[in-house]
Amino acid sequence: MVDVSQHELVPEHTILDEDALDEVLEEYDIDRTDLPKIKRSDPALPDEAEIGDVIKIVRNSRTADQAVVYRLVVE
Amino acid sequence: MQNSTPKDIGQLSFGLMQPEEYREMSATKIITADTYDDDGFPIDMGLMDPRLGVIDPGLECKTCGKHSGSCNGHFGHIELAAPVIHVGFTKLIRRLLRGTCRECSKLLLTEDERDEFREDITESRKLGRDLNDVTKAAIRQARKKDRCPFCGEIQYDIDHEKPTTYYEVQQVLTSEYSQEIAAAMQGEGEDAERMSPDELAEQTDIDLTRINEILSGSFRPRESQRKAIEKALDIDLTEEDTNKLMPSDIRDWFENIPDEDITVLGIDPAKSRPEWMILTVLPVPPVTARPSITLDNGQRSEDDLTHKLVDIIRINQRFMENREAGAPQLIIEDLWELLQYHVTTFMDNEISGTPPARHRSGRPLKTLSQRLKGKEGRFRGSLSGKRVNFSARTVISPDPTLSLNEVGVPDRVAKEMTQTMNVTERNLDEARRFVSNGPEGHPGANYVRRPDGRRLKVTEKNCEQLAEKVEAGWEVNRHLIDGDIVIFNRQPSLHRMSIMAHEVVVMPYKTFRLNTVVCPPYNADFDGDEMNMHALQNEEARAEARVLMRVQEQILSPRFGENIIGAIQDHISGMYLLTADNPRFNETQALDLLRATRIDELPEPSGIDDEGEPFWTGYDVFSELLPDDLDLEFTGTVGEPVVIEDGQLIEGTIAEDEVGEFGGEIVDTITKVYGNTRARIFINEVSTLAMRAIMHFGFSIGIDDETIPEEAQSRIDETIEDANDRVEELIEAYENNELESLPGRTIDETLEMKIMQTLSRARDNAGNIADEHFDDENPAVVMANSGARGSMLNLTQMAGAVGQQAVRGERINRGYEDRTLSHYEQNDLSAEAHGFVENSYTSGLTPREFFFHAMGGREGLVDTAVRTSKSGYLQRRLINALHELETQYDGTVRDSSDTIIQFEFGEDGTSPVKVSSGDDNDIDVAQIADRVLDTEFESEAAKNEFLSTSSELTNLSEHADNRLVEGSEVTSDD
Repeated sequence: MVDVSQHELVPEHTILDEDALDEVLEEYDIDRTDLPKIKRSDPALPDEAEIGDVIKIVRNSRTADQAVVYRLVVE
Repeated sequence: MQNSTPKDIGQLSFGLMQPEEYREMSATKIITADTYDDDGFPIDMGLMDPRLGVIDPGLECKTCGKHSGSCNGHFGHIELAAPVIHVGFTKLIRRLLRGTCRECSKLLLTEDERDEFREDITESRKLGRDLNDVTKAAIRQARKKDRCPFCGEIQYDIDHEKPTTYYEVQQVLTSEYSQEIAAAMQGEGEDAERMSPDELAEQTDIDLTRINEILSGSFRPRESQRKAIEKALDIDLTEEDTNKLMPSDIRDWFENIPDEDITVLGIDPAKSRPEWMILTVLPVPPVTARPSITLDNGQRSEDDLTHKLVDIIRINQRFMENREAGAPQLIIEDLWELLQYHVTTFMDNEISGTPPARHRSGRPLKTLSQRLKGKEGRFRGSLSGKRVNFSARTVISPDPTLSLNEVGVPDRVAKEMTQTMNVTERNLDEARRFVSNGPEGHPGANYVRRPDGRRLKVTEKNCEQLAEKVEAGWEVNRHLIDGDIVIFNRQPSLHRMSIMAHEVVVMPYKTFRLNTVVCPPYNADFDGDEMNMHALQNEEARAEARVLMRVQEQILSPRFGENIIGAIQDHISGMYLLTADNPRFNETQALDLLRATRIDELPEPSGIDDEGEPFWTGYDVFSELLPDDLDLEFTGTVGEPVVIEDGQLIEGTIAEDEVGEFGGEIVDTITKVYGNTRARIFINEVSTLAMRAIMHFGFSIGIDDETIPEEAQSRIDETIEDANDRVEELIEAYENNELESLPGRTIDETLEMKIMQTLSRARDNAGNIADEHFDDENPAVVMANSGARGSMLNLTQMAGAVGQQAVRGERINRGYEDRTLSHYEQNDLSAEAHGFVENSYTSGLTPREFFFHAMGGREGLVDTAVRTSKSGYLQRRLINALHELETQYDGTVRDSSDTIIQFEFGEDGTSPVKVSSGDDNDIDVAQIADRVLDTEFESEAAKNEFLSTSSELTNLSEHADNRLVEGSEVTSDD
C-alpha cells in the first residue's frame, strides 16, 4: 500500500496535545465541535489518531508561506 | 407609531401548534359557510366575520378597534367534525406509525438502543450534522422488531397510500388453506412422493383427527399449527389483509406515545406532541390574508382561500348532520374522506396523486403552499426580492466631461426622486427656497412634513404660502441636486463594482450620463444599455455610500488587486499619439491639451524651436498630470522601458499597460501610493488630456486604411497559391500512403494537422506582407499597438486573408455525405473545400467562403450563449454557498453559526487590494521606511538624531528581559 503521508503534496498532519488544543480553542473562542472536520478514514491522518482528536495541519500556502489549520477527527 | 421601538430577536423556535392554542388565538368560531347577507353585511360567525379584521377603509376592527391598514387581522377557527391528517406531516406520521407499538404506543426500541440514539442525536447536534440521518436510523431499527419489547404485541407493517391514507398490513391464513395443503401433499410432477395425513400429523405434531379436519376445511389451523404445516410442506399459507387506519385511530395511537420516547426521534415534546399532527381544529386565516374584491358590477369576488374554506365548512356540516342522523358507516367514511381532501387541498393544492381543487372556471386554486412556493412566492418574490421606491431606470449615454465619480441625472428624474431634509435654524432659508420653488421648479420640493407628523404635498398653488410656514423641526422632501450621493447599478450585478455610489449632476434630456472610464466595472456600453439609480433615504446610508461605495473607492478590484478603472479605447489611442513620437506643441496647443485639467499654467518650455518659438513635448504635457515625486520604471505596452523620475516621464510610450483598465501600471501605483482621490484626479485628467490629444491629431479609420497596393496583393496571392500547392502535395502523399504519422496520431489526423499548419502559416505570411505596407501612423496599427482596440490578427484578416474557418477546433467537415457542400467532389481534401478563406475582409469573400465563415461565426455565438448561462448558474450556486461567510475581527472566516471556515482569511490575512500584488514586484520595505521617516521628521538632523538614538539599558531583572541586557546575544537563529 502507498503511504500517502509520505507524498510531497500531502501536508503534515499531527495530533494536537490537550494543552495546545486548549490554547487554540481559547484563541478562537470556540468549542471543539466548531472546528472544521476530518474523517477518521482519511488516509492522510496519522495511524494513532482517534475520533475526537484534533489534528494540526501545516501546509504550504500560495499567499502565506505556511498556513496552519486545525481539524476535528469525526466518525 | 406606538410600539415601534426596534427589538432584538433573541431566539426563534419551531414546533407544532396544539388545538387549544388555535382556539385561544381565535377571534371567533366559524360555523356558517356564507360570507355576506343580502344587504352586503358580513354574517356573524361566517367566513367574513368582522372580528377577523377589516379590509374596507373607514371601518373599525371588532376585535382590536384599529382601522384597516393598522389592524393585521385575527384568526378564527373551525371545529372539525372528525380529525383529519395534516398533509405537511404525512412522512413523519408514517415514520411514527412504523416505529411505535400498535398496542402500547411505545417506541419499539430497548432501553440500550434508545440511549444510543439519544447520544447520537446530541452528538449530531453538536457537530451540526443532519438530525434526520439519526432519526431515520432509529426508525429503521425499530421497524425490525416483530414484537413490542414492552407489551409483547405483534407488530404489523404500515402501508402508506399517498397522500393521507394509512393501512395496517397483517398476514392472515388464506381462505383456501385446505386446498393448498392438499395440493402440496399430492406433490408436484409424475414421480413426486405423496404425503399421507399420517405422515403430516407426525411431522407437525398435530393430532391426526385435527389434520383431517383441517384438510376438510372445517377447522382453521392456529398460528403455531399453520407454521408447522408450512414448514413440513414448504408452502406459504398466508395472504395479506389490510386494515385502514382512520385519523382518529392514529390520533389515539399517538396520544399514548410517552414523552421520553419522542425525544429519541429528535422531537421536543414540550413544543410538539405527535397527535397535534392530526387536526381537530382548523385555523381560519384573517380576512386580510384573503381579501375579497368588489368587481365593477358590484359583485364580490372571493379569494381562493375563502372558496376553499367554504368547501370545508359545508362538508364539515354535512358530516355532522349525517352522523347525528345515524347514517351508515359507508357514507360517514366517504364524507370523512371528502373532508380530508378539502383540508388537504386547502394547505397544498399540488399534491401528486390527488386532483387539484379547481375554481369554477377550471383554474386550479392557489392555496396556502402555492402562496409560499417558487420564484413568485412569498419568500423569493416578496421577502428576499422587493420593488422599491426612490429608484429610477433609463438608458445610459457617455459624457466625458463628467468626473468618474459623477452621474448625469435627467432633471425629470431629479424632480421625482427626493432627499429628506431635516430643517434646522441653519438651513431654514435653504429649505424655504426649495419649497417655494414648488414641485415643478428644479431645486424644489415635493412634500413637507410638519412636526406633528402630518405630510403635506407641495403644489404649484400652495408652494409660496407653504414655504413661509416651514420652520425648524419640519422635514422637507427636496429634489435631488448636484452633489447628492446616489447608488448606481447595472445588471447583471456579478461583482461588487456593479453597484457603486455616484454624485449627482442634474442635466437636461432623458438619459443617465456617465464617464466612459466607469464602463469596465459595470461592463456597460451605450448600445441601448439601461441602468438603475437609487436615491438614499437616510444620513447613515448616505455616509456609508460616500465612504465605501463611491466609484473612486472601487478603483482597485478585489479580484486581482489592480485597478479596474482606467483609460479605455480612444483614451489609449490618444495617449499613444501624444507620447509615441514625443511630438512638439506650441503654447496654444499645449494649453489646449491641458484645458480640461487642473493645470492652468504651463511649465518651463521643453525647448526653443528653429523659429525661436518655445515648444512643449508630449512627455512634458503628460508629466504635468503625474504626482511630483513619482518614480517608476517598468516595461511598457510596446515592449520598451517606461521611465518616470520625480514625476517626469523620461522615456517610453504611454498606452494600455501604463494607464489602461485592468492593471495599468501608473494608475495602479498612484492609487496604491497616493490614494484613491489622487488616482481619481489622475484618471479623469488622463482621459480628458487623451481626448484633447486625439482631437488635436485627428483619428479616423476607413476601408482605405486597410487596402494594400497591387504589388502586395499579388505577393499575398502567391503565398496562398503556394500554400494550396503544398496542401495538394500533402494530400497526394497521403493518397499514396507516403505520409508518416506523427506519434500518437492516425494518418488521417496527421494529414489534418499538417494541412492546418500549412494554412495557418499561409495566413500569417499574408498578414506579414500586408503589415509591411502599413506604416506606424495607420490608425488600425495605432490601435493595435497601443492596445486600445483590435489586434494585428484583426488587421491580418482585414488586409491579408481571413484564413481557416473552424468548427470544434477542426477544419469544416460537416454538411453532406463525404463533402462540405455540393460544389465539391466527395472526399475532396483540399483547403478550399474545407473552409479556408483566401480572401480578406477588404477584398470580400466568395459565397462559399462566406458560408464557411458563417459556420465558424455561428459556433462562436452559440459558445458565448451557452457559457453565459452556465457561468451564471455556477455563480448563483457559489453565492448561495458563500454568502453568509464573513471575515471576523480576529481574522478568521466564519459562517453564521460561528464555525470556522478559514483560520486566517486567504491564509495570509491580507486583502488583495491592500497589497502590492504580483510575483515580480517585491515590496520595497526600505523605500517605504524612508518615506515614512522623511515625512515624520522636518529636518535631516532630527531624523538622524532619531536614527542614532540608542535605548537606555534596562534596570529590570535579567530574567524579565534579556534582550536589552548588555552582552547577551540572541542565540537562536530564527
